[in-house]
Amino acid sequence: MSVQHRNNVNVLGDGPATLVFSHGFGCDQTMWCYLVDHFTNRFRVVLYDLVGAGQSDLTAYDSEKYGSLDGYAQDLAEVINEFASGPVIVVGHSVSAMIGVLADRAHSDRIAAHVMIGPSPCYVDSGDYVGGFKLEDIHSLLDTLDSNYLGWSSTMAPVIMGAPGQPALGEKLTNSFCRTDPEIAKQFARVTFMSDNRDDVVGLETPTLILQSTDDIIAPVAVGEYLHQILPNSTLCLVSNVGHCPHMSVPSACSEAMDSFLSPWTEGGDGR
Amino acid sequence: MAGEPSLIPDSQSLFDNAPCGLVVTREDGSILSANKTFCTWIGWEKTDLERRRFQDLLTMGGRIFHQTHWAPLIQMQGSVAEVKLDVVHRDKTLISMLLNGVRQQHESGVVYQLALFCTTDRDHYERELLKAKQLAEKLLANKVAADAALSQAQTKLNKAYEKAQRRALFAEQMVAIVSHDLKNPLTAIKMAAEILGRKMPDGKEKLMLNHISNSTDRAHRMITDLLDFALARVGRGISVSRSAIDLHSVVAKSVAELRVAFPDVDLRHQTVGRGNVELDADRIQQIIGNLVANSAAYGDQKKPITVISSLDINRASISVHNFGAAIPESARSKLFEPMTRGSDQDSQNRSVGLGLFIVREIALAHGGDIAVHSTADEGTTFTINFPEISSFSDGKG
Repeated sequence: MSVQHRNNVNVLGDGPATLVFSHGFGCDQTMWCYLVDHFTNRFRVVLYDLVGAGQSDLTAYDSEKYGSLDGYAQDLAEVINEFASGPVIVVGHSVSAMIGVLADRAHSDRIAAHVMIGPSPCYVDSGDYVGGFKLEDIHSLLDTLDSNYLGWSSTMAPVIMGAPGQPALGEKLTNSFCRTDPEIAKQFARVTFMSDNRDDVVGLETPTLILQSTDDIIAPVAVGEYLHQILPNSTLCLVSNVGHCPHMSVPSACSEAMDSFLSPWTEGGDGR
Repeated sequence: MAGEPSLIPDSQSLFDNAPCGLVVTREDGSILSANKTFCTWIGWEKTDLERRRFQDLLTMGGRIFHQTHWAPLIQMQGSVAEVKLDVVHRDKTLISMLLNGVRQQHESGVVYQLALFCTTDRDHYERELLKAKQLAEKLLANKVAADAALSQAQTKLNKAYEKAQRRALFAEQMVAIVSHDLKNPLTAIKMAAEILGRKMPDGKEKLMLNHISNSTDRAHRMITDLLDFALARVGRGISVSRSAIDLHSVVAKSVAELRVAFPDVDLRHQTVGRGNVELDADRIQQIIGNLVANSAAYGDQKKPITVISSLDINRASISVHNFGAAIPESARSKLFEPMTRGSDQDSQNRSVGLGLFIVREIALAHGGDIAVHSTADEGTTFTINFPEISSFSDGKG
């Protein structure tokens, strides 16, 4: 099975360095559409779907492999190996920020930098650490997923939340975005929100840009500050935004912050 | 409509009293306006709501789902439909609702228009469905596991069966080879004894040669019994080859031969009815031989042994009667088991104890049965019945 088919890999643009965009829980690579065009004239851009999401190969889903984020990190490393050239910057949204960390840990020196959008090393409160969620919140999420996936079968491509009378986007997009097998969605939700990667981020020296929304219930500001404190070579950039997807709601603020962070890896930069 | 404009309320009233909850928010979810229906449903005043975000009214699971699923989706495709979520009432109870939403771009900016419907009953129904589905999936998983275990057991059983088959085949072949190899030297001994006996004058030596001859006959019968036993126990069962026979003459021939073998016994033959039956003549002779040998061994040797062959319209029977002590009650349950003997008395005619077992197996192979009647006064009678095998039958017994 090819990595391209498994992860629905798309390569755009060109440049001396590669940006690998990795989407978060609940969506697929189309969520990057507001941001990607800004970079394709200076970077090689690699987009892919996590297995189980979007147009990835659902038959490649193995509940054991993807029972932890390591399975996804392994895939990311394979995508980098096959499609990236030059220095690699992983742009990870939400859970993918930690997938990037794990891939970095497993293959040190291959990832030159991270851009983490709304990252959280641990969603559930634990001791003094405030992740923002309690265990029962995760159960509440699983319950919500259950009621919205009701009646879906794995053989039917579910069109979650169709567009009533306003197919503003092409059918292809409508049908693939948020399309997930319910069982996969539930397991990914569990893996995402139950994972604790606080030990993995300790001492990670790879340069990192943390794009932190000012108001995000999934990744609160306190969590962004925690990460910034732990990661020695990190930059914390607060983006004025309500919600968990600043790259969609305020893409220009995001690209602006990324431009300055990425300048060492662009033509004429000092990163090569 | 055009003729009666007064019937239609003004737009504010339409908004407030719509039969569904209507909420208008900014892009970030902060509520600009909510209609009266929605406010009534969730127990908040309009003014309370206008300082809050729509997502703050949801359960935690609903908020995560909003952030990770339908907020990105409504932005990308401009609308969402049939999102199911629980809205938290002011009194903390949950109200299940279905949401449709559109993103509207106006000159002054972007607003989200949300329409919500209460689905409490539907929600109950759907939860029941969900439970039933989960139960069905669990049962299916159990069934799949049970099927797997069953097929595993079946495979094991098949292997054991094959092994037993191979063992039976081996035993059969071995008995056949051994009995054949034993019969040859016995035949040679018997022939030599008889040839010698013919030339020998009467006397002690001739008597000894007769002993040799009789003993080889007994050994011969034992070998035959052993072969049949092996076939019945571990092989394919005792074979029967039927043909139409005159029962009385077959029995008479057998009785005549047995008179030679048992010269001291008063052996009698009675017949009842007449006709042909489809039976295996050799096996009939074997039955009579075994039963008479049995009677000679355990019965009163001073009184006659009687063989009765009987035929009526659709059944045949053979019985062998002798006088003498009754078979003890304790021995009867195992009488037809192999290696069983009527008593421990040492007799010239005793065998390895397979006789009655083989007689019963032959009866069963013919579709018949065997019965025993034994009292001290009347003596002992073994009766074998062959049902429904007149000469007009199809021979299937």
